[in-house]
Amino acid sequence: MLRRVPMAALLIPGLAVLLFAFGYPVAATLAWPPDGDPATVARETGSLLTDPYLLPVIARTVRVSVLTTAICLLLGFPVAYLISRAPARWSGRLLALAVFPLLLNTVVRTYGWIVVLGGNGLISRVGEALGLGRVQLLYTETAIVLGLVQLFLPLMILSCYSSLSQQDHRLEEAARGLGASAARAFRTVVLPLAMPGALVGCTLVFAGAVTAFTTPQLLGGTRERLLSTLLYSRVNVSLDWPSASAIALVMTALVLAVSALSGRLGKIGSTSS
Amino acid sequence: MIAMIRTRPLLSLLAAAAFTLMLGPVAILIGVAFTAGDTLAFPPEGFSLRWFSAALDYPPFIDAFGTSLVVAAVSTVLALALGVPATLALNRGRVPGRRVVEGLFFAPIVVPELVLSLALFQQVMVGMRVTALGALVVGHTVLLLPYTVRVVGASLALADPRLEEAARGLGAGPVRTFFTVTLPVMAPGIVSATILAFITSLNNVPLSLLLTGPGVATLPVEMLNYVQSSFDPVVAAVSVLLLALSVAVAFTTERVAGFTKVFGR
Amino acid sequence: MTPVVELDRVGHRFAAKGTAGTTAVADLDLAVRRGEFTTLLGPSGCGKTTTLRMIAGFLRPTSGRILLEGADATRTPPEKRNIGMVFQSYALFPHMTLLDNVGYGLRARKVPAAEARERAGRALELVGLSHAADRKPAALSGGQQQRVALARAVAIRPSVLLLDEPLSNLDARLRVQMRRELLQVQRETGLTAILVTHDQDEALELSDTMVILNGGRLEQQGAPRDVFPRPASRFVAEFLGYDNFPELPGRGPVTIRPEHVRLLPAGEREADGDTGLDGTVSAVTYQGAGCLVEAGIDGAGGPGAAVRCLHPADDLRPGDRVRIVLPRRHLVELPAGEQR
Repeated sequence: MLRRVPMAALLIPGLAVLLFAFGYPVAATLAWPPDGDPATVARETGSLLTDPYLLPVIARTVRVSVLTTAICLLLGFPVAYLISRAPARWSGRLLALAVFPLLLNTVVRTYGWIVVLGGNGLISRVGEALGLGRVQLLYTETAIVLGLVQLFLPLMILSCYSSLSQQDHRLEEAARGLGASAARAFRTVVLPLAMPGALVGCTLVFAGAVTAFTTPQLLGGTRERLLSTLLYSRVNVSLDWPSASAIALVMTALVLAVSALSGRLGKIGSTSS
Repeated sequence: MIAMIRTRPLLSLLAAAAFTLMLGPVAILIGVAFTAGDTLAFPPEGFSLRWFSAALDYPPFIDAFGTSLVVAAVSTVLALALGVPATLALNRGRVPGRRVVEGLFFAPIVVPELVLSLALFQQVMVGMRVTALGALVVGHTVLLLPYTVRVVGASLALADPRLEEAARGLGAGPVRTFFTVTLPVMAPGIVSATILAFITSLNNVPLSLLLTGPGVATLPVEMLNYVQSSFDPVVAAVSVLLLALSVAVAFTTERVAGFTKVFGR
Repeated sequence: MTPVVELDRVGHRFAAKGTAGTTAVADLDLAVRRGEFTTLLGPSGCGKTTTLRMIAGFLRPTSGRILLEGADATRTPPEKRNIGMVFQSYALFPHMTLLDNVGYGLRARKVPAAEARERAGRALELVGLSHAADRKPAALSGGQQQRVALARAVAIRPSVLLLDEPLSNLDARLRVQMRRELLQVQRETGLTAILVTHDQDEALELSDTMVILNGGRLEQQGAPRDVFPRPASRFVAEFLGYDNFPELPGRGPVTIRPEHVRLLPAGEREADGDTGLDGTVSAVTYQGAGCLVEAGIDGAGGPGAAVRCLHPADDLRPGDRVRIVLPRRHLVELPAGEQR
């Protein structure tokens, strides 16, 4: 390795920008909001965690995020698996199809749901036709979950795919040759080896769901608030800065906790295998 | 392919559900954009391009598009200028506490974008009296930095470190080695990082949400604001235009990237 | 005559967290003369690559000095050392044509473009690849890439050619062929060369001087003709394939090559001066042109009790009684008291 003291110096501009444009502003905002100080923020955080009106918001955020992650895993893993085992002609196109929504912004991707879920939307009219009456799914928790699942599926697919595609395809054949049924081979060979990718996918999706804003804002409205939309209303509507800082703190803590947990799980997984 | 679907019915069903979920709403939106009617009803009433001309006639959208492009371009360049040297140092130099430093460069991903938006609004826009445009550039650069570091780093990690030693052994000093060997080898990674960063910036919502000023807002934020106050199909038309643009960019970069692949290896 | 490369008590110790570190090279003295082909030979981990990289300047010695053309170069960066390095993985620049690859060092030395192109062309011709000058490295086979790497190093007319196991990535037959080409290029250009290898056949064929390293220390040094028949230590003997370390009563440690051991029918006597022992054949492995015969020495026990012999005929079977002859001129004495 070329031993050059100057090389490490190349880090300085990047680190400086991170410090002044990111580290300092975030720390300052979380701890010293206008009209407040760390004590105020601490108090607000406390009330956030105990207020009977606000606590459900946290619960809803976690619930929605967990549901989203689970459904993404359930639907996304098969896609990743099929793409990884598909003949070369198809795998490229399928992957592109799964990933291309990432080219669009969240508003575009979520907006379609308003058409589908609204009072005059598809689902509603199908429901009417079936005699279920007008079904309004918009502005419900279900709508948010649907929207977030749609949003994060490509992410889950990509994560799982990276693990699955690295697997030697002969492994399944070897298992079958040794007498394992297709289901058993899948369960005992493919799944365990795809764990790392799936774990990364779950972490990314959960973190994304906790911090997502546009989708809950468009599909949840003012009725079903999540932490992110609550934060927005505190900033834009009530101008309650200390409360905003408290909410921001809780959100950040949630994401950090999940990252740490998945890091720990990842290590356990790798030492046992 | 058909054989594969037949032998794995359950997985195929789940995969089909996944694709429907992912692509259905977008397809519906595309359909709505061409409606001749006034509402978001689907199936659309009639066929018309009126909402496209409405979209192109709406100054806030045009202005916002310009803002988005400028912010994306500038922040991408800045993120590369900061990230490429950083990833070089991390991959080819001796850095004490390398893991920690790498972690620092990924910190912007861990903090919720809305929080960063709030922070930049309070500390940079209000506190330092920086314009919305400046704050947007700063915020997007910070957001894109982990991407440039990670993507370029991956391409650098794959390259043979002996190449630089070979250049040095042949008499090239560190600067010449960088420009004639290291940079060309990193080129594919830099191209990927550029595209990824540009798109990420262009599509960003939460970070840009609070960083608005008189006449300054990014396109997605402008679209979000519009959607929350009106229910006409204009935004659908804008979406289709953006979609067409993205697909066009994706195709051209595929050509270009293919070109660099031949060039590189 | 000033040696081209001189190592004066050079050592390198890798610092590891918390421990005293690993010594890769210790107290090495080496002098390489102009126009000579020197090989650094030894098993993995013996410090030969570390030594080469120190000579090249990619690694700084933690002790001692390195002199190039008589001047202290210990602190000089690699680009200023005028060395020509050939890597095990060739390290050809994937984004340049062969001609540009070979001319790289010349351009770095600010040689005028036309002259650089011409010299690069000649170097490519030297290795027989001028017809491919416009191709990229990815289009070439391993052996061809090797030649280009060599041409690139030779084009700059370095003080010394440094080759780090250049043939290890080639298959066996190609390796032998490339070995000969390498020697030819070195002779034609008259360049001083230092080659690192773990392959003793390579070292025997190429070297003017062989340097055998073990655990970072110099075990033995000399021309192949001097080193091979007379290993100076048990390590060198084992490394060179001396498979026999019989324990002879009344004598210190000795060694002899299997092809020099002779097996006479029991009862026959050896010539005067040669050592003879009675023994019994314990194993015979047919090898076509002869047999590898293992025979136990009467009355001896432990590892030094068996002798391996390359016997030119297929007339022995396990259990046969033989007279084991160790001819005096092939019996090598090793330093006493060596533990291995």
